[in-house]
Amino acid sequence: MTSIAIPRPAYAERPWILDWLTTVDHKKLGILYLYTTMFFFAVGGILALLVRAQLAVADNTFVNNDAYNQIFTMHASAMLFLFIIPVWAGFGNYIVPLQIGAADMAFPRINALSFWLIPPAGLLMFSGFLFGGASDVGWTAYSPLARSSGVGLDLWIISVIILGVSSTIGAANFMVTMFRMRAPGMTMFRMPIFCWTMLVTAVLQLLATPVLASGLAMLYIDRNFGGSFFDPNGGGNAILWQNIFWFYSHPAVYIMILPGMGIISEILPVFARKPLFGYKAFVFATMGIGGLGFSVWAHHMFTTGAVLKPWFGFMTFMIGVPTGVKMFNWLGTLWRGSITFEAPMLFALGFLSMFLIGGINGTFSAAVPVDFAIHDTYFVVAHIHYVLFGGAVFAVFAGLYYWFPKIWGRRLDERLARIHFALQFIGFNLAFFPMHLLGLDGMPRRIATYSESSGWETLNLISTIGAFLIGVAMIPFIINVVMAFLRPKDQPNDPWEGNTLEWWTTSPPPVHNFDSLPEVHSERPLWDLRHGKAAH
Amino acid sequence: MPSTGKLRVIRRVNLLISAALLAIASISPAFAGWGMPEPITDQAKRIQDLWVFTLIIALAVFFAVEGALLYAIFRYRKRSDELPKQTHGSTALEIVWTTIPVLIVITLFSYSFIVLRDVEKKAPSDALSIEVDGFQFSWQFTYDLARLGQGQAPAQEGTFSIIGTAAQEPTFVIPVGEPVEFRLKSNDVIHSFYLPNFHYKLDVVPGRDNRFVITANQTGEFTGQCAELCGINHALMRFHVRVVERAEFDKWVAEQVANKATVRQP
Repeated sequence: MTSIAIPRPAYAERPWILDWLTTVDHKKLGILYLYTTMFFFAVGGILALLVRAQLAVADNTFVNNDAYNQIFTMHASAMLFLFIIPVWAGFGNYIVPLQIGAADMAFPRINALSFWLIPPAGLLMFSGFLFGGASDVGWTAYSPLARSSGVGLDLWIISVIILGVSSTIGAANFMVTMFRMRAPGMTMFRMPIFCWTMLVTAVLQLLATPVLASGLAMLYIDRNFGGSFFDPNGGGNAILWQNIFWFYSHPAVYIMILPGMGIISEILPVFARKPLFGYKAFVFATMGIGGLGFSVWAHHMFTTGAVLKPWFGFMTFMIGVPTGVKMFNWLGTLWRGSITFEAPMLFALGFLSMFLIGGINGTFSAAVPVDFAIHDTYFVVAHIHYVLFGGAVFAVFAGLYYWFPKIWGRRLDERLARIHFALQFIGFNLAFFPMHLLGLDGMPRRIATYSESSGWETLNLISTIGAFLIGVAMIPFIINVVMAFLRPKDQPNDPWEGNTLEWWTTSPPPVHNFDSLPEVHSERPLWDLRHGKAAH
Repeated sequence: MPSTGKLRVIRRVNLLISAALLAIASISPAFAGWGMPEPITDQAKRIQDLWVFTLIIALAVFFAVEGALLYAIFRYRKRSDELPKQTHGSTALEIVWTTIPVLIVITLFSYSFIVLRDVEKKAPSDALSIEVDGFQFSWQFTYDLARLGQGQAPAQEGTFSIIGTAAQEPTFVIPVGEPVEFRLKSNDVIHSFYLPNFHYKLDVVPGRDNRFVITANQTGEFTGQCAELCGINHALMRFHVRVVERAEFDKWVAEQVANKATVRQP
């Protein structure tokens, strides 16, 4: 085995707090991203529990209509803009440079800026609660309703623009890092699949986010400077906002799920002891989803009567195809493998079984007449949560359990992890499966209450119980993390027998990441070292 | 000739399938609409047929893939330290599992396209036409005496309206068995006119002339509500429709007309 020696820079010691505040180390920034986003996950989760508490019984007055609209708006905004999208940037920050054998991201200072925009933007968004109420028009902020909402919405707009800047410059950083800083021998088609999904995500962010920013600027002008971009009474067009918003926000759904797919595709091969089945097909499917993702936005708008329904229906059906290819490739990876069920694998398999439902129940909206029935009902709420919770959140936990030993040098307890998984899996299905039936039966989303005569009470109560069970599931996880932090760092470089370069260096890695790098001959350099190239 | 062991497995699988079918059949009355409420219009029936067709394919895909996943999890768990065969993929398989979904989605698209054309057919010019105004936070239903449907010569000119409030949910009336057109108007924000038993909703957009047609096929009273977040009392924007025979409809119209307060001469 030959390895390439890497020169080792010298570091000045700084006080602990100053070090974290001024760091440009991708690993420390990655950790800051993870802490920040998990904080907002908790906040968003508490807001979700308030929503479910209100809907537990008919004609409930636990929170009033005004508060309810703010709560569900901030639940979605926190979960999407402050948790899921930046949590991938957190994983990407920590893992991508390690996986491609780089010492850091291409632009460390821009990287720090990307992170440090997030906490103030989050505080700004939530500060609405202090100034007469947070945004209450849904995370979709449809105009003209959004023209008349309170100052909380202005804060929300500014916050989302700042978060957009963070993710746009972050995207450029990821792209340059992966294009220019791969280890010797690592061709694009030997790049770990998680990197590939981060790359496609970065392209989507770079192309889509500025469009949202332009829409938000127009909305701000409409609200504050007498504009009428979205006001038909002033010559504007109410539907224009929806076109701009979904032109960003549908690709954004892939921004929210592709890196999760990447994490799953790292974990399955390690715990099935086989390579990812159809690596190239998987890469092309990822690009296919990214490309098609820009041609389906108006499936959110079939009931506006203002879009070309057959075209967007067809493209929406078509985007199911590359998603299906991925599902089959994951199954092919497990097939004839030698599977063990450590915590990361449990959550990865949870992802497969639940994301499958999120993939399938989305196709109903592509059948345009069926969408007329289910659009804006709880069926769609069920769909988005099977994708973003059953998919993305399970992938977040899979990634946390998988990379925890690398990032923090300690391993999480398997028994607590199994309890966490079981509670979360059961709670998730109790919370979100009944929503399919509620939606079909005609319960619209975003209603603060429903009457007893609707007959929706039982299913809503089950859903609420499930949601609180998800909350309970977080207790063993938090105990697990706290207990791990109380133990000394004892993890070897490669506790899982991983395939990719992050497992080559120490756990946690030194500031400069690698003292040396192995030669890269495939997408599984560490496997090649363990078993010899012939076994590949 | 299969071995006896294989035969036993086949028999067992057959037994399992029969038991599953029996179980589904026994609970099926509870799922008469396959999860959807009763369709009360010709268009809703078409949409429900499409829903059922799509659902059957979806369930088939779900059970096939979830079944394969569960099989893999149990069958291929680690039994020894021996490394499994390192298969990197198969172009043939990739082509197969790209082609099959493409064929499925083309089928689904074609069927949904046909249904789409049918449910979006325009109203005949002599159909009953009702203007629906969504406002924060209720509805107004305006009938034009010159457009009361069934090819009747207009008895008189003018309009009458049913106006609701968030506290007083409005009830409007339509006749069964003939096309009824709804013209949707809003002057404030976007609402969505949604009646679950129509299996249909259409947004009420300021500055847009959105209309749709239904033909009710049964009488009764049904409830709908706004489906697009429109402000603080969005949840209270409910309305009711009474579907009645033509004669009763005419009687109801006469009562409304007699109530001069709601009639506005042009």
